[in-house]
Amino acid sequence: MLPEFDLVMPRSLNEALQVLAAGSPEVLPIAGGTNLTVDMRSGRYEPKVVVDIEKLPELKGIRRENGQICVGGGVTIAELLKDGLVAETAPVLKSACALFANPLIRNRATVGGNLVDGSPAADTAPSLLALDAEIELTSQDGKRRLPLDEFFIHVRKTARQPNELVTALRWALPKPGTGSAFYKLGLRKADAISVVSVAVVLEAEKGVCRKARIALGSVAPRPVRAKNAEEFLTGKLLKKEVFEEAAALTAQAVSPISDVRASAEYRRRMSAVLTRRMLEQAAEQTGWKE
Amino acid sequence: MLIRFELNKKQTELEVAASETLLDALRKAGFWSVKHGCETGECGACSVLMDGKLIPTCIMLAAQADGHEILTTEGLAEGQDIHPIQKAFIESGAIQCGYCTPAMILATKALLDKEKYPSLEQAREALGPTLCRCTGYVRPLEGVLRAAAYLRGEEVPPLNVKPIPVEAVFGPISPASGPTEESGFEPSGGVATTTRITTAPTLTAQDTTVVVGAPETKVDAVKLAKGRAAFTDDMTRPGMLYAAMLTSPYAHARIRNIDTSKARALPGVRAVLTYKDVPRVIYASGGQSYPNPKPWDQVSLDNKVRFVGDRVAVVAADTLEIAKEALKLIEVDYEVLPAVFDPEESIKDGAPVIHDEPDAVGIYDAQHNISATILAQTGDVDKALAEAEIRFERTYRTQQVQQSSIEPHICITYWDEDDRLVIRTSTQVPYHVRRMIAPLIGLPVSRIRVVKPRIGGGFGGKQEMLIEDLAAHLTIATGRPVRLEYTREQEFTSARSRHPFKITFRAGLTKDGKLQALEMVAIEDTGAYGVHGVTVCSVAGLRGLSTYKCENVRFDAKIVYTNKPVPGAFRGYGGPQALFALESFMDEIAHELKMDPIEFRMNNVVRLGDSIPIATALGEGGPVPQVIRSWGLAECIERAGNAINWERVKDPQWRFDPERPNIRRGLGMAVLMHGTAIPGLDMGSAVIKMNDDGSFNLLVGATDIGTGSDTILGQIAAETLGVPLSKVIVYSSDTDVTPFDVGAYASSTTFISGGAVKKCAEDVRNQIFERAALMLGTTTEGMILRNERVTTPDGRSVTLEEIAHHSLHTKDQQQIMATASHMSLQAPPPFGAQFAEIEVDIETGQVTVKKLTIAVDCGTPINPLTAVGQLEGAVAQALGYAVSEEMAYDQSGSIQTRRFGDYHIFSADEMPEIQAFLVPTYEPSGPYGAKAVGEIGIDGVAPAVANAVYHATGIRLRDIPILPEKVWRALHQSR
Repeated sequence: MLPEFDLVMPRSLNEALQVLAAGSPEVLPIAGGTNLTVDMRSGRYEPKVVVDIEKLPELKGIRRENGQICVGGGVTIAELLKDGLVAETAPVLKSACALFANPLIRNRATVGGNLVDGSPAADTAPSLLALDAEIELTSQDGKRRLPLDEFFIHVRKTARQPNELVTALRWALPKPGTGSAFYKLGLRKADAISVVSVAVVLEAEKGVCRKARIALGSVAPRPVRAKNAEEFLTGKLLKKEVFEEAAALTAQAVSPISDVRASAEYRRRMSAVLTRRMLEQAAEQTGWKE
Repeated sequence: MLIRFELNKKQTELEVAASETLLDALRKAGFWSVKHGCETGECGACSVLMDGKLIPTCIMLAAQADGHEILTTEGLAEGQDIHPIQKAFIESGAIQCGYCTPAMILATKALLDKEKYPSLEQAREALGPTLCRCTGYVRPLEGVLRAAAYLRGEEVPPLNVKPIPVEAVFGPISPASGPTEESGFEPSGGVATTTRITTAPTLTAQDTTVVVGAPETKVDAVKLAKGRAAFTDDMTRPGMLYAAMLTSPYAHARIRNIDTSKARALPGVRAVLTYKDVPRVIYASGGQSYPNPKPWDQVSLDNKVRFVGDRVAVVAADTLEIAKEALKLIEVDYEVLPAVFDPEESIKDGAPVIHDEPDAVGIYDAQHNISATILAQTGDVDKALAEAEIRFERTYRTQQVQQSSIEPHICITYWDEDDRLVIRTSTQVPYHVRRMIAPLIGLPVSRIRVVKPRIGGGFGGKQEMLIEDLAAHLTIATGRPVRLEYTREQEFTSARSRHPFKITFRAGLTKDGKLQALEMVAIEDTGAYGVHGVTVCSVAGLRGLSTYKCENVRFDAKIVYTNKPVPGAFRGYGGPQALFALESFMDEIAHELKMDPIEFRMNNVVRLGDSIPIATALGEGGPVPQVIRSWGLAECIERAGNAINWERVKDPQWRFDPERPNIRRGLGMAVLMHGTAIPGLDMGSAVIKMNDDGSFNLLVGATDIGTGSDTILGQIAAETLGVPLSKVIVYSSDTDVTPFDVGAYASSTTFISGGAVKKCAEDVRNQIFERAALMLGTTTEGMILRNERVTTPDGRSVTLEEIAHHSLHTKDQQQIMATASHMSLQAPPPFGAQFAEIEVDIETGQVTVKKLTIAVDCGTPINPLTAVGQLEGAVAQALGYAVSEEMAYDQSGSIQTRRFGDYHIFSADEMPEIQAFLVPTYEPSGPYGAKAVGEIGIDGVAPAVANAVYHATGIRLRDIPILPEKVWRALHQSR
């Protein structure tokens, strides 16, 4: 048993938003519950009312929409992992999902839940940041969309207001000449919170980088992009020395802490090593050979 | 609220609370196969299938199951039917403690529903989410593949193994050390296995055993596979209260006062106990023989706390939620004291004194936090060191790790109808618990009954009276049944763990590499209490100084208090610490001397007929001289070495991979030598009685903690009595019914309890012969008992059923029955060899263990399937010890690894390949030639991996675990 609360089980998104409308921090939505039940048991959250949004049809589904991929906030990690559209248009996200917690939790955890938890180590965050994903937040007052990069604020702090739900994530279909790569350095294969994770998406034309996205987890108070490295890469020929330089810039962009998993210094150094490797892998996928 | 869903194919309505998890709701409804393991969805024990997908019920609201289809293991097969997956798991030896078995079986079903022809990789992925601490996953993976074959409708031949030729009329056969022929033990049926068992076919006696040496399925396997109510928590009692424990948030503090009035006033709270409420009786909580080794430095509840997680108060209430709510209402006034966490700081003048209480008994030097010291030596170490041609000195460090049995500590206490206290508990030591708890709760032993049902793993963590006293105090205070269970977090903060050691070895050698002197200086961190400290330390000394022949040896150790959670017994018990240091040290010396590491070891190792000098000066129960009377080490090295393709160590190019320039490959090995039981101290006993149909009841105090001891003890009885195992009904570990046994520890059960069973069965057999002689009008001369029949030399025979009827009902009526006890002054060491193949990523420092091979001489394996399961499981735990597991703290001494997500025990999908071999010898002092097999497998992975890292990179890591950052730093510094 968990600490006591009232459970509301709305049948539609509107009903759910009505319950959340007052914006009270004591009213919390639950979907897979993989974070929230643990947090309620430990006393981190003590909601009076829990709103079950798991079965809401409005939060489900993965579809193509106006040149974008649209994923419902209530889509589970397991669903992302086995979805053909995700595999085709966002392999960098699929790779992250394959290393997300364990298969058991993947069957319950949702992408929206993973993001609103606000963990710097959220497994889907670097890939979604690298995809330039947009997050859709819905309240009774309406919908708003913002770049995911603006969604994360600090440890356990996001732009979501208590009356809002994550209803969707969207990202653009990849252009020709796009390559991507993801790597999670942990103490174990999947079911360990990462020491460093890196996601890279590159768009290139004849070996020249048109756009670069580098995002990292577990190296700052929030999932971060290495914007200095991204800018540096733009317009450059994709080659070893350039990757080395971008990797070094990435190491400057992160602000890791020391904890039981690793020291700050190690995290910083690994940010560079892994970024370089992911850039190499992604560049190879753009179809360009040095 | 009322939910409607399909449960095990039946439409079901269930009344659940809003805040109830599906786990709680299912268990409350009697679906006991769904187990509690971790509360965070990380162990998988609570898994069920929801709409065909495996999901964790401990982190899901019961209400969310509304409208879904749920399947638990109970729903797989009705009544006595067995589902093919269950059958496959039973036959393939996939079940040890059985606690995670129902979840594994459901995980298998989820896979096989989708995939008829699963690959080994798919099986590994499927079992990935269900953590198992017993098996190392090798047998469960075979179970998955075997089940797939069954479900495809294929004929799957039974597991088989050639009988082991052991002279049935006893007396040792020549203790061969060079068996060669493969026995043909191949788990078959299209099932890929990575394990081979080699038995000893070079023995040529006429008689062969029938039951001993056979891969019998475990006697408790069916109920475990079916998820029946077999564990401590799988029951309720009318009026049962739920207990919860308040623990210290400070590493070191005096409790000025506790105000429990608000907690007591909470409706539903039935008792709140603090140091003010229970008698102050000094004890030591380690489950050990009388009198418990000193120091005695604990009381049930104290007015001082000595680590974050130490006991402060305990509450019993109508529900667990009320009990937990009450904990928040207890007001504790702490005077926070300075704390110390490093043993080398702890012994300095002026360090905080952890045990300043005047009534502690037997602390060596409380002012300097020295719990105990050990000094043991033979020969003249100083002289031999001074005169040695070459000297070496190295220091090694090992970390604190947790046993992590998937079933947490749990007990239920209640008064029976005769006002006797029943303690139903998940323990390795029921008899020690009964004796040790008596003075704490003020009851005589005669009024206490301890029952151990099935237990979900122990590994030493339950060789302890850890929580039984608190539950008993609450039952005494309330008159009601009380259930007390640790949370997974409390398993890390408030249970036991492995002692960290700092070990310095000094060696003196001749120029040609012969050992002349060996000194081992150790500082052992025993945490806040001294429990198991001195005995673990003495075993570390024994293990560190036994393997290599040397007349001049010395062990000099300090056992030191710190303000950390308390280490205790953990499989290996000082062995893994000592052997990490010793086998790294031997490797370093060999490389320095430019000798082959195996050749150098074999030049110095003890062999058949050698005595063990240190055993004359040091022993867990006092020194007892030892001589090696069975020795299969050379064969072990050959077997495991060949299996890992050790020859590659000679090819310098092999270390590099042209495709992956950042990778270095390496091979490493370690020699293993363990003990078997505590000589002169451990005792086990047995009762056997014969029934009307010629079957037998075997009653033993021995404690099966998933290892299969009920099964192998049954096999020893069955072999001796000429019956199949199915004719022996084994009942164990109930202090009212079964005779005394020290319990499951010190690698003793097969050897000691098995010795008692064999003696007992021989006595019964003699009575059977006498009855047969009476019936046939002849003498017992030359009689043979085989196939449930006594045969005389002239060919006449009577069946056991006829004998039973005659003895019970016909003439000179008599219950054929016997009792026997067994102890031993010999502690015959099992030997073995551990090899590791690894890869190092020199940019990140990540070490990936690719393959582990182990071969062990455990004398006669009574059951090769369970014996090899012991090795595989131990190797998996040892791998965690080597590369990932570590209890980590913040600066205030608060543990940071409080859940399986942070504390890394290996899962099926990330295990390297394990190959385990048995190399039988014949141990003259053991039952049917058996020695120990339970612990030796955990001793050697850390040094083998460290030695492999050295081979790969030239980097020598002298502290474990070998984490990526440590390797990266060492590589960085060396550049």
